[in-house]
Amino acid sequence: MQKWRNSLLALAVAGWCLAQTGDMVPPEVRRVGDRLACLCKSCKNTVATCQMLGCHYTAPARARISELSKNGVSDDAIVQEFVKKNGKEALAAPPPDGFSLLAYLVPPFAAFAGIGFIGWFIRRHRKPVAEAPALSESDIEKYRDAAAKELERLEE
Amino acid sequence: MENIGALALILAFCLAIYSFVASIVGAWKKKPFLIASGERAVVAVFAMITLSVGILLYALVTSDFRFAYVASHSNRDMPVYYKVSSWWGGQEGSLLLWNFVLICYGLVVVLQNRKKHRPIMPYVTATLMATQIFFLVLNVFPASPFQMLAQGRNIVEVQDGNGLNPLLQYWTMLIHPPILYMGYVGFVVPFAFALGSLIVRQPGDSWIHTTRRWAIVTWFFQSTGILLGAGWSYAVLGWGGYWVWDPVENVSFLPWLTSTAFLHSVMMQEKKGMMKIWNIVLVAATFFLCVFGTFMTRSGLVASVHAFATSDIGKYFLVFLTAGIAFTIYMILGRLDYLKSESELESVVSRESSFLFNNLVLLACCFATLWGTLFPVISEAVSGEKVSVDAPWFNRINIPIGLFLLFLTGVGPLLAWRRASAESIKRNFLAPFLAMLVLMAGLAVAGVQHFFALTTFGLCLFVAWTIGAEFWKGAGAIARKESIGLMPAMVALTHRNTRRYGGYIIHMAIVVMFIGFAGAAFNKDITVEVEEGKAFHLGRYEMKVVKVDTGQTDNYVWQNATVEVKVGGEQYATLTPERRIYSQSQQPVGAVKIHRRLNEDLYLNFAAISSEAQRPIIQAYVFPLVTWIWIGYWVLFVGSIICLIPSKVKMSYAKTEVVGMAGANAKVAK
Repeated sequence: MQKWRNSLLALAVAGWCLAQTGDMVPPEVRRVGDRLACLCKSCKNTVATCQMLGCHYTAPARARISELSKNGVSDDAIVQEFVKKNGKEALAAPPPDGFSLLAYLVPPFAAFAGIGFIGWFIRRHRKPVAEAPALSESDIEKYRDAAAKELERLEE
Repeated sequence: MENIGALALILAFCLAIYSFVASIVGAWKKKPFLIASGERAVVAVFAMITLSVGILLYALVTSDFRFAYVASHSNRDMPVYYKVSSWWGGQEGSLLLWNFVLICYGLVVVLQNRKKHRPIMPYVTATLMATQIFFLVLNVFPASPFQMLAQGRNIVEVQDGNGLNPLLQYWTMLIHPPILYMGYVGFVVPFAFALGSLIVRQPGDSWIHTTRRWAIVTWFFQSTGILLGAGWSYAVLGWGGYWVWDPVENVSFLPWLTSTAFLHSVMMQEKKGMMKIWNIVLVAATFFLCVFGTFMTRSGLVASVHAFATSDIGKYFLVFLTAGIAFTIYMILGRLDYLKSESELESVVSRESSFLFNNLVLLACCFATLWGTLFPVISEAVSGEKVSVDAPWFNRINIPIGLFLLFLTGVGPLLAWRRASAESIKRNFLAPFLAMLVLMAGLAVAGVQHFFALTTFGLCLFVAWTIGAEFWKGAGAIARKESIGLMPAMVALTHRNTRRYGGYIIHMAIVVMFIGFAGAAFNKDITVEVEEGKAFHLGRYEMKVVKVDTGQTDNYVWQNATVEVKVGGEQYATLTPERRIYSQSQQPVGAVKIHRRLNEDLYLNFAAISSEAQRPIIQAYVFPLVTWIWIGYWVLFVGSIICLIPSKVKMSYAKTEVVGMAGANAKVAK
């Protein structure tokens, strides 16, 4: 009985703790919030997408965004205020400057290196074109198409 | 009993060491009895680990709260199936699960190959046992599931346990961890065969043929495990997110990407004798990424909602990974001559090249995901700056990669081996390409403005068309030749080459899933505090909370809201989202209700009761097309099963090549 009393009490307390937020996320909060990480440490969402009622980070962050936005502060300036307060960690994605620039440069660099490797692989493993006596282009095309059709009929 | 459990693990550890040493020495000194003894030790290790698992399960089911593990992860009032699932609810138990799955695989390998692959089997056994030793070290020393609660020198029992984390008390959690482990642990088998083949310089592609089914089965389990996790996340966390690029999700995705690359590039080795080094690298990378994933979820290196409690077992993983990777690199470098390519590429526009690009894209996605996951750690270590790398970064990088991969899924299978002619490219791709453009234009006119969603829908049609055309052409030919209907002809076609057509069905599954992913661009949500009887709206839905009830079960107290949903004034559904407080943990958890339809899901979460007005707070979401992700899984399931069925026609892949082109006056010698 004691256990259930505790549980019901917890349910009521949880309700009180959780019921801190209001209705829909306004468009300006969603727009700016998409650029800001939720730093509650229990989710990987942004301030726009965090759905935890009464989240100790997102709820006040949304209120602040809304307030600044109503005062005519630009989106960039709002974001900068969060960065000033919480550091670059406040951003949902690293800023493209300083060391963080590497976050953006390394993946495409690796992809280009991969393309380069494929290019090298193809050059190295490509069969040299055999020297063949002259044939009219139309004949060659005919044979090529016939061969291609045959090959396509092969299993895999 | 607890002593027997701990002793069984120690014995398993000693026997695994014996098996490893006996296999290596037996192969080195050519002593068959030592090799056989090493293999039999695997059976003994299996018996010991099974015994320890049995004891832990018995303790969990009988609520023996003298065990620290049972007291931490179970409680008396939990249903028996959740008591069983507490086995993998904590660090020690989940490592024991890893050990159990690993030894089951080891046993199957040893029994299957008693008379096969004898030259490499000692090394296969040794590799399996080396991995087993590592995981047994963890279970015997830093993370034993058989630690007892004690006061002074006396073992004591608590009255009730803390219970399993309420979020894990959901049906998919009964099967998600074992299936995921079957996927990740399973890749040790292809890796063991690859390493054994390297060590003995086994000629040919024997290891590939031997492990092809293992690779498909473990890949299937990986896919199933990942999607079960996504399904759990969608249905349990209360906001419908099935993938948020959390570090633990990411590290489960990495080996899936490399194993997918392997399943494609392996065809190059089978049919052309090419990419041998690459395939060994991919198998090794998959295996080590599986271990790396386990390291990430347990070391506390990165913060994650899914991670186990931070512990000091990370350093053990680092030692194992470093030693394993170093040895594998050493073996590859020492066997480069044995791994030489047997043939050459004939054209850049060919099936071979498409496999190269497919591998590049999969690996690019893998690298980008790994980079993004580790970047916060790297940034803090190098520049001292804390940064967040969340979904916006991953989406920016991986969505274009994913779309390119989708494009290749359509293009690759239609390119001919060796070289594709301009004519065949035109014949195969013109119609689907035009259809794609028409669909995109139509959707744009209809108001779909989201660029990536639009591109995804277009590419999905393109790929589905190309796959459908393959079935249509092949089945049509069989239907005409054998005078049978199109459906029986489709079955006959698939049966002729199950791997090829099963693969196409898996490609179709990916298409179907992408339709579901694209739907996320149109999600809608609202959080409202509503008075009973008053309506609120989201999209086309009009919702009304008609009553709030309270009740209790043995395990939790609950409160639910009955919500009537109308569409266009007509009654549409009645949903009862629930909130629960579990008796032991006192943790509030939502039990959402989802009205699933093919076009969209209506998803309701009863989040709270407001403190002042005592009104229910409802979070309502509309998730368009999300059901297609789960449908995609079932298509993938069918495709994977088909891939495992032996083909009716035995394929032989002659590694022939065109040596030159005859002149106009050439004559055939008689």
